[in-house]
Amino acid sequence: MIHAILLSPLTPLEHLLRHVLDWLHNTLGLPWAWSIVGLTVIVRVLLVPLTVRQIHSMQNLQSHAPQMKEIQRKYKGDRQKQNEELMRFYRENSINPAASCLPLVAQFPVFIGLYYTLRTFSRHPPKGDLSWLHVVPNIAAHANSHWSGYLLLAIYAISQMASTFLMGTTMDKTQRTLLLIMPLVFLAVVAHFPAGLVLYWMTTNLWTVGQGLITRRLVPKKGDVPAPKRSSRTPPREAAEDGAAKKPAAPEPAARTNAPPKRVKRKKKKGGARR
Amino acid sequence: MRYVGIGLVYGYRYSFGLLFPASCKYHPSCSQYAIDAFRKYGLVRGSLKAGWRLLRCNPWRHGGVDYP
Repeated sequence: MIHAILLSPLTPLEHLLRHVLDWLHNTLGLPWAWSIVGLTVIVRVLLVPLTVRQIHSMQNLQSHAPQMKEIQRKYKGDRQKQNEELMRFYRENSINPAASCLPLVAQFPVFIGLYYTLRTFSRHPPKGDLSWLHVVPNIAAHANSHWSGYLLLAIYAISQMASTFLMGTTMDKTQRTLLLIMPLVFLAVVAHFPAGLVLYWMTTNLWTVGQGLITRRLVPKKGDVPAPKRSSRTPPREAAEDGAAKKPAAPEPAARTNAPPKRVKRKKKKGGARR
Repeated sequence: MRYVGIGLVYGYRYSFGLLFPASCKYHPSCSQYAIDAFRKYGLVRGSLKAGWRLLRCNPWRHGGVDYP
């Protein structure tokens, strides 16, 4: 029933993904396993512009962190008021908040489509070489039917946790813990999936981890925001510290970040940058 | 009928929604907006309004306070 509801609008997408998969195998001559990896990578590459956009707005957001903390402190008891004030602040400073729902929701059909494509693929495996890296004998077989499947599952779980760990700087503790436990619960289900699907899941997670690592380099962490020193566009240290001294109203950990670190692509820490 | 829509949103919140950090540039969030819209306008018009809101919640918009 759920399959029928999900599948009917996704069938064209599924066919498209299948065509790409076939093309990778037939035209480029990749083995089936590598075609799955290739297909995953193609999908993720297409989603990169969204990520870049988000990194930019995160950098922008970070430069306003002290004022936002001030608002959060002011309306501590009233979440609704706090949200409304934050939105007003965004608007006044023409900040574009990093998060938005559409990119997130737009990814669902793609991933569900990919899931069904690979499931169909594994149920009716084509002729030809179905092994991967001489480790996985058959990507159409269940993951728990061979020791290599467990290896894939382990990589899947670890990469899933790692991506949560990297993404999770903005979420609260409970959610983060929940997300860290989740892959272990999923493992029981995923173990019955064909190895090819696990391969896809693993690849997409590893991609997320890589993206997270790059994002981390580009956007300073929450508690680690004395970015003025990292950027060449900001005024010299004395000026930045003067600015900080003039604003006693801001809470002290954030007070150091008054100069806007527009782009923070420099080396991590320079000697004596933090006191 | 409208409770079907509200139920679906809650279903999303406790499944896929848990997988992602709270991420909406509007207040109330898109899912809350959808629930409010279903309550106020019923299933059909409510889902149209919620769908339009979801489309507006994209990286090129600025967000803000927006009640259904």
